[in-house]
Amino acid sequence: MHQVAWSVAAPAVGAAFLASLVEIVEAFTIVLAVATLRGWRPAAFGTAAALAVLGGLIVVLGPLLERVPLHLLQFVIGVLLLLFGMGWLRKAILRSAGIIPLHDENAIFASETAQLAGVADRPHKSLDWIAGLTAFKGVLLEGLEVVFIVIAVGAGRGLLWPAGFGALAACLVILAVGVAVHKPLARVPENTLKFGVGVMLSAFGVFWTGEGLGIAWPGQDLALAAIVLAFLAVGIATASMLRRPPMEALQ
Amino acid sequence: MSIIRDLLNELLGMFLADARLALATLFLVAIVAGLVGALQAGPFVGGGILLFGCLAILVEAASREANSRSRR
Repeated sequence: MHQVAWSVAAPAVGAAFLASLVEIVEAFTIVLAVATLRGWRPAAFGTAAALAVLGGLIVVLGPLLERVPLHLLQFVIGVLLLLFGMGWLRKAILRSAGIIPLHDENAIFASETAQLAGVADRPHKSLDWIAGLTAFKGVLLEGLEVVFIVIAVGAGRGLLWPAGFGALAACLVILAVGVAVHKPLARVPENTLKFGVGVMLSAFGVFWTGEGLGIAWPGQDLALAAIVLAFLAVGIATASMLRRPPMEALQ
Repeated sequence: MSIIRDLLNELLGMFLADARLALATLFLVAIVAGLVGALQAGPFVGGGILLFGCLAILVEAASREANSRSRR
């Protein structure tokens, strides 16, 4: 594996860790709802199956992408990161400004529990199957963004494994905290994390799109730090410019 | 089938949640590619237009959404 500057490795692993933290909190809420209503077996089975599919995607797609010429890979992934990262950042800005509501894990937990309780008159086996599928789908859909981020920040720079380990570390953290508190993790500062990840992904997107187009960034990898600061400053300024008074935001 | 449909919707939503933001970003990348490829623009010009263009698109997208929600 070639040497990678810390200025690129740290944001890559950090972005994978933080993005995973956010998505896994959301997936954990669904798994917890399943486990509360139908026990841990279907929840664990559905989760394990989804994690196997997601892990398989990384193992198959990651090395395949390493074979694509570097400039082409950076350009394609850079553009995808720009679209994805700026989308995340835009939402985080709107949430931070009170224009769209914050993600409410307690409400999601209540809605998932109600949905599962609504099919309670089915036979026992069928219920376990539905519960397992619910956990599978929840983890798969939430994990899809994590897989994209791990592949996007990892491929082309030899950072696939470090980024993967960043995501895995987030999984273990949430699992440990979740098992300990045994309720939805509603107090995680989700929007702050999303804001940070949106900033990092957008910055990676600009940096890699530029490199893919043949732009030699002044200061090379250090330019990434400057781009991160630019997105962070503009994001914070936009959120504060759009911020509504609390009463207006509630209406 | 529902899982596959949801998966495709999730994938589409990941990149095209705001169609105007996505289109503007792709248009900007095309302009920078033209400037760098055909006109041999330097790194400060090409990189600067890409970075500041993205920041402008982001501010416009957030402000547009805020305005449209405040009119509802």
